[in-house]
Amino acid sequence: MPGPTLFFSTLMADEAKTIARGLQRRDPDLLDRLIEQYQYRLFRYLVYVTGNQERAEDFFQETWIRVLERGHQYDGKSKFEAWLFAIARHLVIDWQRSKKAQSLDTLTDPEQEHPLQLVNESEPSPLHQVLSNETEKTVHASLQKIPAIYREVLVLRFQEELQIDEMAGVLSIPISTVKSRLYRGLDALRGALPGGAAS
Amino acid sequence: MSENIHQRALQLIAQARVEGMPETDAAWLGAHLDTCDSCAAHARQTDRSLRSLRSVAIPLPDGLARRTQFRVRLRAQELREREPQRRALWFACGVSWIFGGVSAPYVWSLFQLLGARAGLPKFVWEIGFGLWWTIPALFVVAVLLMEKVRQGDEPAWMRQDS
Repeated sequence: MPGPTLFFSTLMADEAKTIARGLQRRDPDLLDRLIEQYQYRLFRYLVYVTGNQERAEDFFQETWIRVLERGHQYDGKSKFEAWLFAIARHLVIDWQRSKKAQSLDTLTDPEQEHPLQLVNESEPSPLHQVLSNETEKTVHASLQKIPAIYREVLVLRFQEELQIDEMAGVLSIPISTVKSRLYRGLDALRGALPGGAAS
Repeated sequence: MSENIHQRALQLIAQARVEGMPETDAAWLGAHLDTCDSCAAHARQTDRSLRSLRSVAIPLPDGLARRTQFRVRLRAQELREREPQRRALWFACGVSWIFGGVSAPYVWSLFQLLGARAGLPKFVWEIGFGLWWTIPALFVVAVLLMEKVRQGDEPAWMRQDS
């Protein structure tokens, strides 16, 4: 049944074009609407990537300033959220580089000799404080066991529901690397959640 | 059952969640899960893990969107205010180029005349003319370099042509 699929993909393409035109004009009303619309998803992504609520707030604001300044570079051919996450991610990487002079990938890659822990696991996690519900705390504690590089792809794929090619764009890595990270991440997730390893 | 069959089943369970799988594989996996408790438990655990991941809710800080909208509007205003200055600068550069091109033959004659009156060697007034001609261009290059420095932190990933 291509009908509804075609209808929705055309609708999304139109929406992306409308956003691109609005960003070219730096339309303040459009930006207000986009901030409202994407606030939760962007903030959640930033909290997972930075592991820190205050930092995520700073990056959230900085991301939207970048969207305003560089909005003319969004051409509406891809999903807006993929572009938005790419901006957010690279702001975090730039910040990491300024701190450590390395990229987020190398810093968080568990296969590297000295992987960076975005969140210091020996201290109570700031992210832990963000999550109030007990169940969520348990899930979060489990997520913390997963290396950031895998946590990020899991969030993009299963929470943000980005396609694999869109993720490759956001992460600036080949599709095959996205897939291998997803498989490893899924394995890690299953192992990390309570009862996961036992089953 | 062979170990390879279970391996294939586990692989397909992951593949179905990550990137989807062909119908033939789905049918094979379905049939296998009906008969293999261990692989069926693995599939259920995978789904439970993903449900848990999706269920995590992160509360938004109060007024984050409002504060951001305010900052973005302020920045937009700054950019709007700077825009006429940039346009004026480019307009001045354009006028300078046009004027330089149109007046070049007259200025050449003027340099030649002044050079002869002052008794300067030919190459001296020719260099003078060359400088007169290149200074506006150097000015434009300086403006362009300043623009580049200002946007120097713009990474390639932000461009959409990839």
